Amino acid sequence: MHIPDGYLAPAVSLALAVPTIPIWAVATQRVKKVLNNRTVPLLAIFSALSFTIMMFNIPVPGGTTAHGVGGTLIAVVLGPWAAAVAVSTALILQALFFGDGGILAIFANCLNMGIILPFVGYATYRVLAAGSPVLSTRRAVAAGIGAYAGITVSALAVGIELGIEPVLFSQNGHALYSPYGLSEAIPAMLAAHVFGASIVEGLITGLGVSYLQRRHPEYLTSLRGIFAPDAAIDGTAARRPLWQVVTAAAAGSAAVLAVVGLVEGGGNPNRMFGADWSRVDWPSVATMLLVTAVIGLVLVPAAYLVLPASLKRIGAAFTAIAVIAPIGLIAPGFAYGEGSAENVKAAFGYVPSGLQDLSGIFSAPLSGYSVPLPFFSHASAPLWHAAVGYEISGILGVLLVGGAVYGLARALRRNGAEEVAPEGVGA
Amino acid sequence: MTTAAPAVGRGRPLEGRIGWLERTLGGITGNIEQAIFTEHHARSDGWLQRRDPRAKMIGLLAAILAASLTTSVAGLALLYAGTLAAARASRVPFAFFVKRVWLGIPFFAGVVVLPAIFFVPGPRIFDLALGPAHLAPSWNGLAGALIFVSRVGVSVSLAVLLVVTTPWADVLKSLRALKVPQVFVLVLSMTYRYIFLFLHTANGILLARKSRVVGRTSGGEQRRWITGTMGNLMSRAFKMSNDVYAAMLSRGFAGEIRTYATYRLRTSDVAALAGVAVVAAAAVLVGRLLP
Repeated sequence: MHIPDGYLAPAVSLALAVPTIPIWAVATQRVKKVLNNRTVPLLAIFSALSFTIMMFNIPVPGGTTAHGVGGTLIAVVLGPWAAAVAVSTALILQALFFGDGGILAIFANCLNMGIILPFVGYATYRVLAAGSPVLSTRRAVAAGIGAYAGITVSALAVGIELGIEPVLFSQNGHALYSPYGLSEAIPAMLAAHVFGASIVEGLITGLGVSYLQRRHPEYLTSLRGIFAPDAAIDGTAARRPLWQVVTAAAAGSAAVLAVVGLVEGGGNPNRMFGADWSRVDWPSVATMLLVTAVIGLVLVPAAYLVLPASLKRIGAAFTAIAVIAPIGLIAPGFAYGEGSAENVKAAFGYVPSGLQDLSGIFSAPLSGYSVPLPFFSHASAPLWHAAVGYEISGILGVLLVGGAVYGLARALRRNGAEEVAPEGVGA
Repeated sequence: MTTAAPAVGRGRPLEGRIGWLERTLGGITGNIEQAIFTEHHARSDGWLQRRDPRAKMIGLLAAILAASLTTSVAGLALLYAGTLAAARASRVPFAFFVKRVWLGIPFFAGVVVLPAIFFVPGPRIFDLALGPAHLAPSWNGLAGALIFVSRVGVSVSLAVLLVVTTPWADVLKSLRALKVPQVFVLVLSMTYRYIFLFLHTANGILLARKSRVVGRTSGGEQRRWITGTMGNLMSRAFKMSNDVYAAMLSRGFAGEIRTYATYRLRTSDVAALAGVAVVAAAAVLVGRLLP
């Protein structure tokens, strides 16, 4: 997420100093007020800690590793103002001394990772943890979710900063700086984080806070009194059983989905999410679900047993996703995931221009994610035939992509061992 | 997280299986090696090393700004020629300087910019039909990619040049000359000192684990261990900051920071600065005058 020089126009880089510098000034004043002369050693040592945390590789399921930033973890302990100074200092050091991130881009990088990240992370944490005792599981979970939100919003900010470049600065029709518009830069940054780096950041922050709760609870209580006196609520751990948490989360998401669906369908339960559910042939859906369940019961354990140890879990998870994929066939209208350019356009109102150029590539050979045989794709074939076709193409797809990635990783490993993760998934 | 610029003086690739532990260890070692490498070159007797650090900082900032402002490849080429000449005169190992930057850039900027060559509208260079897909790069896309990659390359080269020819203490003092608040400069200098202590501690913790663990452990166990290590480092950070503060107090620290070094700008520094300004202005103007 460190933006190097050359990606941003100088006007943008320097304009980002306008919010950044006053926030630094306020942050330094705030920290000085509570700490007096202690400020300098505390901030310096926590900046060094932040730098060290950014060095750590966290093992991610599937054999790759990822870096964390640790901004929210520091914000939870020292408050967001001190975290802003600590992370910014670490980022400046990386730019001036280790060549990570550009020199003109310092303001952009500090705004994204040093200010937006800890403040969004801390605000989310405060809202979710409000009123819970210091040692409760909810606080650790809230810190993890806060870190997830913080780094995701920070990635969004990077996407916006990069995305406005071609809009503002082009010459003779070609971009002078980062060439991707908002409609490409934002989804790319968000996708890379929502499914990857953000999860890592959330995990290390949640686990880090729960470590502090167990081993050094004094940092979560006594320091709170100095940095954020209104946030301190003492108390002991109030553990909620896992099944209660899972049930509550599931019920909550179902309720949210139902409300959204009803709003989209104009209040009519038969037109949830704007689709015509009365057209669905429910008995054949039941047959399909039964067939899917049987296939899943056979394939998922089989995948778990057959795959090598390092791929067992991730492989079984992918198989399960491929097996449940045909559930999308139930929905009348367009099935999710298989959206052709027209469907995407109908749903989102615009087509990302890159998608339009690429859509030809994906049309062959398993068109529409189904097998081109009459048994699977005949117009009058029962729904479960189509579902089995879906699954076959899904599993073939997983195997093809997995095989390609594995092959590529093997080939790259032979060339440069440094760049490639051991378990076959590219770094 | 993308690590954008190529790091200077990375460690050799580790042999055999590379896991999360080895990667972190490699990264830490690489950073320490790089710091030693940098200090070594920053202290050798070259043209940039002899310049006043304030003049050097301002000059390199002007050059990076010019690299950002220019709209032509010719301007960037001019700046790069100046950068190479300065690197040569400053006894920076030439192969290292060129290779580090330009072997890394295709990875960091080239891969990013590659799809844009095909998506940018405009006249096509050629149109290769691959079944349903068309492989048709456009002139506009290629021009954009060229200027983008060379701009990133030149900016990174300039930053690397600043880093390898300036001892860290001088960077800090010139920041002070640029009116950066004293508190920030002091925090930066102390951070730099404690980074190596923390890297050393982390290195010890990781090596201790690596040498004691036999066989495989689960991903969950590894994550719990590494976050525990972070929490442990955090608790050490607290204790250390108290100790450091006590040490500062006992040596007479009362909130005021005094530095002793004073620099004097010499004629040669002013001349060098003027030269950089001319090259930077020329690089920007080339884009304005030539199409």
